[in-house]
Amino acid sequence: MSIVAKVIAQSDMSDRFLSSSELTQLQDFFNQGSVRISAAQKLAANEQKIVDQGSKQFWSQCSNTPSNSGDSQKTALCQRDQGWYIRLVSYCVLAGNSKPLEDIGLDGMRDMYTSLQVPLANLKLAMRCLKSVAMGLLTSEEAALAGPYFDQLIRAF
Amino acid sequence: MQDTITSLINPADEKGQYLEGNRLDQLKKYFQTGNLRVKAANQIGSSAASIISQTVEKSLLYGDITLPGGNMYPTRRYAACLRDLTYFLRYATYAMLAADTSILDERVLNGLNDTYSSLGVPIEPIIQALQAMKEVVTQRVGTEAGQEMDVYLDHIINGLK
Repeated sequence: MSIVAKVIAQSDMSDRFLSSSELTQLQDFFNQGSVRISAAQKLAANEQKIVDQGSKQFWSQCSNTPSNSGDSQKTALCQRDQGWYIRLVSYCVLAGNSKPLEDIGLDGMRDMYTSLQVPLANLKLAMRCLKSVAMGLLTSEEAALAGPYFDQLIRAF
Repeated sequence: MQDTITSLINPADEKGQYLEGNRLDQLKKYFQTGNLRVKAANQIGSSAASIISQTVEKSLLYGDITLPGGNMYPTRRYAACLRDLTYFLRYATYAMLAADTSILDERVLNGLNDTYSSLGVPIEPIIQALQAMKEVVTQRVGTEAGQEMDVYLDHIINGLK
């Protein structure tokens, strides 16, 4: 769901046209359209780099973790998931809403990693490292849009 | 409901892809029309009652439908007609903002024909009113936004046929 769908659903619930504050919210969203697109494009183009550098940062702070266990299959799987989270953040930036992250990547996430025996605390740190690399690649305007979704991701672990 | 953004994101996610190429171009176009959409929604929302009055005046008011025996007589049915036309206007405005027809299918058109036929409401006058609404809305919001609203009012018209 995007911010557009969200304010429409809100208005529909109370049988009214959009309020002026909802319209202003959408106006702001559309005005940031080109920054949203460039932020999403940068995340897409740099996914591998963010994952690689993020992993290095992460392992330097937390060496005893499945992705650093020497099992290349595990490492690949962990890094694949990290790439997926970057993609979900890019969707959120475009949608102006955290629903893509929540619906695709957070709902059930804790159960999944617990069952995979990946420590959630380690993942939290890994996500923090992804954020720090990503923020360095974005302009301040782009970072302001993407940062909150990374924060939500970090908080979720 | 779907909106144009989620309808682009969902298939990309199914393939594990970022939004790129054609899909991203479509989104860019949507973002570029955003201000037009918001402005039109504002104009329509703030003058909905007068749009509806003018629509009725243009299409139904002077016909037999408002006389005894007609479907907008007595006042209770006149009011019901105003209410329904307001629904159509509101949902078409939502759909125009979202640039997606799915909210019309889900919230307006689903079962509407059956409801009207079970209530004995004739479809033809509603379509006349919706055609008039298109003209009234275009007068208020201008040609460009009016064309955009036409897409969604036409979607209701086609769904009623």
